[in-house]
Amino acid sequence: MNQLLKNIAFKNVCAIAVNNLHTTVPVSAWTKSEIPQSFIRNNKKIYPPQEPFEEPRPAFVCHQKTNIKYSPEKLWYIACFVRGMTVDEAIKQLSFVNKKGAGFVKDTILEAQELAVSQHNVEFRSNLWVAESFSGKGTVMKGIRRHARGRLGEVRYQYSHYFVRLEEGKPPADYYKRNLLQPHQQLDKWLEQMRKRKIINSF
Amino acid sequence: MIPGVRRNVIDLLKNIERNIFNFFSHPPREIAYACVNEKQIQHQKFSIKDIVGDGFLLAVPKFRRTVEKRWKRKFGSPEYQWKMLVPRTNIKVCHECGHYHERGRLCGNCYKKVEAETKEIQDKIVEKLANKPIENEVIVLYDGENLPDQPKEFWQGKRIIEMKKERPQFFSKNLLQKTTQQPSESTDVKPTDLA
Repeated sequence: MNQLLKNIAFKNVCAIAVNNLHTTVPVSAWTKSEIPQSFIRNNKKIYPPQEPFEEPRPAFVCHQKTNIKYSPEKLWYIACFVRGMTVDEAIKQLSFVNKKGAGFVKDTILEAQELAVSQHNVEFRSNLWVAESFSGKGTVMKGIRRHARGRLGEVRYQYSHYFVRLEEGKPPADYYKRNLLQPHQQLDKWLEQMRKRKIINSF
Repeated sequence: MIPGVRRNVIDLLKNIERNIFNFFSHPPREIAYACVNEKQIQHQKFSIKDIVGDGFLLAVPKFRRTVEKRWKRKFGSPEYQWKMLVPRTNIKVCHECGHYHERGRLCGNCYKKVEAETKEIQDKIVEKLANKPIENEVIVLYDGENLPDQPKEFWQGKRIIEMKKERPQFFSKNLLQKTTQQPSESTDVKPTDLA
């Protein structure tokens, strides 16, 4: 409803303005940006100088791709896939993922890598790993479709945003902590479980 | 559901139903009915039940979805269908060009080069011999190559295409050897006529 009123208001503004004046810039000065800004602002944060005993803070770069014509729920699977990988591994794996979103994510990571080297003081472009990777909801355009028996359904044309943060250094050994035990420890645990079993009604 | 809310929903739906026909530029139903016989004027009041009779408003969740069900939908199950993407272990590096390809498939980058070269040869064939059906063998010669020594009968009916460029590295001569040919026992083959 708000959007509708805003559109009406601006149409009036444009109608009042003189025909040969461009009003895009002044009008846009009063509208909020639809592109998410808070994640990118992390790049501009300036940290105080570190003490000599502190561990060196690794360099990072935040990058995003906005208004991708893809569903955010589907993009979430690809974002989860890439978390915790080195950038080279991520790009290699994404080349063989058979999804539309994989292309967008791969482009974003490549752009972020270039930005890291040129603007964020990263020495080696391979010495990066994907620290954060997530998707967000963009605009949703709504359309109508017909169903049987004169009923109408809603069609949602969904857009998404994709955010990635690359950090310098080696990735953690097991980002998702899938197996906290080593293989020999897993074997011991399995053996113990097997031996603990009791045959009921026996000696 | 609270009776007030239900009433509002029904009113909303009535409004939608009224306005949709306007949106699709149909005349309002009331006008249509006014033009018909007096008997039918009694049917002016119509409720949603006329259109919706078989209960489309009744599709409502009965129970809250448990978190396990939600997880099953989102992640799948390792026994049935695992919905999360899994990294592939069958990606190899091509020794020729350094690009990645799946184990058991051709390297895409190398194949593109072969495709481009093939297209050039085909264009040359079409240029010289037109699009006639190929009944005889076509021999492709590159810059600085000579025909191998064969008796004259060998060359009858064979068409020779000369490409005005260097032979590419991947296109060795024995690629075009016929499998029906018996391997020769002779030891006097020139090294240049091998791969």
